Amino acid sequence: MTTRANRYDAVRMNREMLSSMSPPTWRWYLLAAVLGAVVAFGLYAFTVQVTTGMGVTGINRPVMWGIYIISFVFWVGLSHSGTMVSAILRLSKASWRRPILRGAEAMTVFSISVAGLFPLIHLGRNWIFYYLLPYPNQRGLWPNFRSPLLFDMVAINTYIIGSTIFLYIGLLPDLAVVRDCSSGWKKKIYAILAMGWRGSAEQWQVFSRGSTLLACLIIPVAVSVHSIVAWDFAVTLVPGWHSTIFAPYFVIGAITSGVAAVITLMIVIRKLFKLEEFLQPVHFDNMAKLLLAVCLLWSYFYFSEVFTTWYAHKPIEWEIFSFMSSRYGIMLLIMMLGNTIVPIIGLCFRQVRRSLPALLVITLLVNLAMFIERFLIVVPSLSHKNIPFIWGSYTPSWVELAIMVASFALFFLLYTLFAKFFPILAITDVREQEEVLLGSQQNGRTRLETLVKEE
Amino acid sequence: MKRRSFLQLSGMSLASSMLAGCRKGNEKLIPFLVPPEDGAIPGIANYYASTCRQCPAGCGVLVRVHEGRAQKVEGNPHHPVNQGKLCARGQAMLQELYHPDRIKQPLKRTGIRGSGQFIPISWDEALKQLAGALAPYQQKEQEGLLLFSAPLRGSLARLTGDFLQHFPKAQHLAWEPLSPEWLQQGLFGNPGIPDYDLGNTQYLLSFGADFLESHLSPVRYGHGFGHMRQERQTVRGRYSYIGPRLSLTAASADRWLPARPGTEWALAFGIIRRLLQEKSFDASALQAAGLSVTNVTELVANFNVQRVAEIADISPTEIRATINEAVSISPALALVGEMTAWQSNGSAAVAAVELLNLMLGNINRPGGLYFTPATDAHISSNYAELTGLIERMQQKKVQLALIYGCNPVFSIPSDSNFSAALANIPQIISFASFLDETSLQADLILPDHSNLESWGDIVPPAGTRQQVIGLIQPVVKPLHNTRAFPDVLLALAKGMGGNLAMQLPHESYLQWLEEDLIKRIPDLFIGDRRQQMDHLLQQGGWFGPELEPISPKALKRPERVVSPEFSGAQEQYPLQLQVYASVNFYDGRSSHLPWLQQLPDPMTTVVWGNWLEINPQTARKLGVNQGDLVEVSSPAGKLTLPAVLYPGLRPEVVACPIGQGHQGLGRYADRRGENPLKLIKETEASKQRLTWGGTRVQVRRLAASSGLVTAGHAEGSYHRDLLGL
Amino acid sequence: MNIETSEFHWGMVIDLDRCTGCGACVTACQAENNIPISEQDGIANGRNLHWIRIERYWEGEFPHVRARFLPMLCQHCDDAPCEPVCPVYASYHNPEGLNGQVYNRCVGTRYCANNCPYAVRVFNFFNPKWPKPLEQQLSPDVTVRSRGVMEKCSFCIQRIRRGKEQASLENRKLLDGEVMPACAQTCPPQAIIFGDLNDPDSRVSKLARSPRRFRLFEDLGTEPSVIYLKGGGHDHPG
Repeated sequence: MTTRANRYDAVRMNREMLSSMSPPTWRWYLLAAVLGAVVAFGLYAFTVQVTTGMGVTGINRPVMWGIYIISFVFWVGLSHSGTMVSAILRLSKASWRRPILRGAEAMTVFSISVAGLFPLIHLGRNWIFYYLLPYPNQRGLWPNFRSPLLFDMVAINTYIIGSTIFLYIGLLPDLAVVRDCSSGWKKKIYAILAMGWRGSAEQWQVFSRGSTLLACLIIPVAVSVHSIVAWDFAVTLVPGWHSTIFAPYFVIGAITSGVAAVITLMIVIRKLFKLEEFLQPVHFDNMAKLLLAVCLLWSYFYFSEVFTTWYAHKPIEWEIFSFMSSRYGIMLLIMMLGNTIVPIIGLCFRQVRRSLPALLVITLLVNLAMFIERFLIVVPSLSHKNIPFIWGSYTPSWVELAIMVASFALFFLLYTLFAKFFPILAITDVREQEEVLLGSQQNGRTRLETLVKEE
Repeated sequence: MKRRSFLQLSGMSLASSMLAGCRKGNEKLIPFLVPPEDGAIPGIANYYASTCRQCPAGCGVLVRVHEGRAQKVEGNPHHPVNQGKLCARGQAMLQELYHPDRIKQPLKRTGIRGSGQFIPISWDEALKQLAGALAPYQQKEQEGLLLFSAPLRGSLARLTGDFLQHFPKAQHLAWEPLSPEWLQQGLFGNPGIPDYDLGNTQYLLSFGADFLESHLSPVRYGHGFGHMRQERQTVRGRYSYIGPRLSLTAASADRWLPARPGTEWALAFGIIRRLLQEKSFDASALQAAGLSVTNVTELVANFNVQRVAEIADISPTEIRATINEAVSISPALALVGEMTAWQSNGSAAVAAVELLNLMLGNINRPGGLYFTPATDAHISSNYAELTGLIERMQQKKVQLALIYGCNPVFSIPSDSNFSAALANIPQIISFASFLDETSLQADLILPDHSNLESWGDIVPPAGTRQQVIGLIQPVVKPLHNTRAFPDVLLALAKGMGGNLAMQLPHESYLQWLEEDLIKRIPDLFIGDRRQQMDHLLQQGGWFGPELEPISPKALKRPERVVSPEFSGAQEQYPLQLQVYASVNFYDGRSSHLPWLQQLPDPMTTVVWGNWLEINPQTARKLGVNQGDLVEVSSPAGKLTLPAVLYPGLRPEVVACPIGQGHQGLGRYADRRGENPLKLIKETEASKQRLTWGGTRVQVRRLAASSGLVTAGHAEGSYHRDLLGL
Repeated sequence: MNIETSEFHWGMVIDLDRCTGCGACVTACQAENNIPISEQDGIANGRNLHWIRIERYWEGEFPHVRARFLPMLCQHCDDAPCEPVCPVYASYHNPEGLNGQVYNRCVGTRYCANNCPYAVRVFNFFNPKWPKPLEQQLSPDVTVRSRGVMEKCSFCIQRIRRGKEQASLENRKLLDGEVMPACAQTCPPQAIIFGDLNDPDSRVSKLARSPRRFRLFEDLGTEPSVIYLKGGGHDHPG
């Protein structure tokens, strides 16, 4: 009886959880069209930049890096969401991660891919970007492996590949489900994508071992990626950048923005797929506590950095802080509110941690503040660099803003498309969780002890 | 280069290098079948010596020419004036040659004057018209012909002189704003411009002389300045500057004494008084100049430190220290410049400083100044002659004006009504290379060559102890259908026939120049004339032996100096306007060159524009910030200019450089900034001599943005501490 | 990178006591090195392309006010911060102690400019334009840079080459003072002296031993090849 009831439930669940893959509605088309249009406008802006020159941006001497690098750092930071949920929560066996697992992993892949575009957009001569690659050539020239930008390229590529594999491996059982539920040419495609997943015990064992292993491996990659991004800045002689704290500070910043993004995602997915029974207030409470912890850490790092600068009062470094607080005072205020004051005070209260509207506001604010934080790291230091005679400032041009907005649109577009063609909810994981309650799990013809034993 | 042609070329060069590899060695490239006529060999640069005409100083240059194109102008290391050095204006000479807005062929006006509507005509027609216009003036009594030019020296002065002889009543006015007529009319008269031996002096005292930027011969003095500071093993020459504005020149001084405008002379009197007290003055020089000690003693009797400090409004400590230095360090040399001379009391003030030099024993000694005899023809007019001319023009006594090598509409204050008077002249013929304010009024334009396409000679008006004739030779073929002014004169002579043609039968100005050189330096052309000439051209001119200095005689007794007068009521116009020659544009003749427009003004770092300098204290009172748009009004007119907060300026003074504010002169200068000469109020006294430092103005803030662009960050400019400087 | 295989180590001494701030060097450099004309907007937007600039610093208030000039150009550091950060070796160290910039290798990351404490690297934001016939002035010895690449002072490497070729044609050693960058050549007060720092008897070496010597941001350890001599004797109070 249990088996039949289970089977019935499984079928119902499959159908429910694949509902996102049902044929698109006009709303979906509208959304995709709007996002596509924004991306197209961004492409147009990029074309303008490529055909006329970097002069169409707000970049100048001394501020040679602008919105593109800021966006790059932001998106790399955001990409830590998937790693956080899938890896850390997986290793810590938090079972409520299951419904948001896929969404978060996809977020990682798309945000790191979007991040990877920015260094290329940023190049003065994008059309010869391949000079950065160690490809064999007649001139016998190699890229300069001492350059942090090359570390960057290697790290970003590793992360893209790693997180894609991570996402894909997790997708395998679900692709099999989709394969089983679809027909015609779709079935053929999903059959190829599912790579012959049959759900045998051996496959499950390999799968579970592989997932855990990948989860272990992806964490150091994630840490290294953001450390390397931090070193792009920290290894220079630029006052305000040259700081040993930058790598851990950037990692914490990335985790902050990742955690906040995951909470936002949880709220959205819960609403869209009506997962009230899976994502209960206690889960939000837990995530909010995590966010509180990383916000505290971030604030601690930020305080350490500003405090040491203020105490030492090295003229040029203090000059940068003074300039930042006068020219970009409002932004600094929003950053402090969004990263420190609001989340730390707000998340201390249980009611706030369990209130979804409040959490939505706080997490969006955190990510806005994180974007500003990157701006305030990149721009003021360059504006008031060592030579006072050529101090300057920076205001992004329409081209840069268009490309930045387009990057958000591209991210959402990729996400929307992904949700349409792939199961956005991790079916097997959720089912697994369902069946946890039953104490055992039916996998094909075998019956296994549940893999998860928590709660 | 297209990719296809790139591939073709690279293929060809690959093939040729392989072929070359087959031979043994590469001793010879394939020679030209017909060698190029002008000696232009691809890949080989030639250097031609010539002389700079961006200002009258006459620095020698070498022009690097590559395949018929002039690429770089360098100082001529063997030239006695500039010794291989060159200023930014000289460097930019190339852009005058290759300027996109040069007049490319003779033009005839079609629209109304100033409309800029011209049609191109042929040289034959232009010459015919000019000859027709000139013909009546060959008659004895025919008045009304005017030649307005910059001061002319050397060969061209003689040619113009010879030419104008045939027009008995013709008037030749040769004037430019920065010509040092005030120095020539000073204590000693002609020869008024001595050679200042900056390099060997131990103490330099500048009375408003901006000798590093525009005064007489800036490159020469710049070179001397470097020598004075650090070239000698044990001595570092000290230097003080007195004047209301911390100019570029003043910025290099050890001490800046910010005297009230027109009071610098008081310090000279103070020093003379101390010299007399200590009896350490050069009595013999005083006697030789024909001056008496009692006379001088009387003159300076009251000028103790306190009095000097009061007159100039400088702290007595500074004055005392300066006087101590000037009398104790020897040789101590005094220079006097435009900032002092352009005041209403300028004439007496200049004489005071000249007297100081005399008393310090500086005449004809190392580290002092050398007077050399005038060696060459020189046509130059003073300001009184100019104002006289304007009156004649207003009375419609001028019928035909030939205007060459100057832009009087721009460089004469509008208050003197020159432009209105110019409108009275029925026929104006210009020889300008650009459509500037003056040539836009012309009926006929016969464009001159650029300097680098011309023949000519330059006699440096100031600054060498030897006789120097700098030669100008064309380094490239003329770019456009233009003709050199002297060649036009010779062609006219030929065309007009008669006596004129008899006396000026020369085929070209080059021929005239050669003959003239032979007349001036006869012993030089003993051997092969061609060879000698080539030799002169190669070295950039003729640098004669050192001249025997002469001891100057004072033409007049030094007089009391009165306080300077300012036009405009103090209540209505509380500030004093000082105009000065721009470091980048001199008197405005170089404003059309983009390199100079782009070159940040050294003191304000402003690019592509001009500005009004205001002391920060005054600006605070007026509520003006850096970059605000302000309205400056004087009794003569109103201008709107961006404000620059300038700490190196007396609070009651505002300053503005001359040079911008052109209406015309090509795309880079046209309608850029304002011309401060529009603010100068002329008075009765100022008609006799140039007094451009004597106008009061009022400043009012108009708006917060003005489009002012500075190369340096306004706030960062105060943070030298961050550099550890 | 301090590996030098050449007999030369080019260096420059700038005597601030001689420098008058006149700007002749700036225009000479612009003429020599085919530096594009920057319009007013460009300079307003921080896109001036001059390779050498005269920095003017104000000090004090009226009447105790001074202006100091500091000619600033690529310092050709022996331990140049711009070199290691370039991912494509466009910024490299040449055997004669020069910081080279390979225009056709540069992809325009602008990282070098950020890491240059002297802020002397300029970026080609647009393709250069010279209205005809101004382009006829361009020197064939120097590449005209296209948009998207970094550039900076090269110590007039084309002149160094020319000098060395001339010397080797005449089968002699290069003389001291034979090679001069455009700025040093034109400087009226001779504030800029250029030469071989490896030759202890060269003028530049002698001056570099002056007690007035200092280098900018010595604390950063960049080992610049440009040595300044302190402007001295300012006895003005304030």
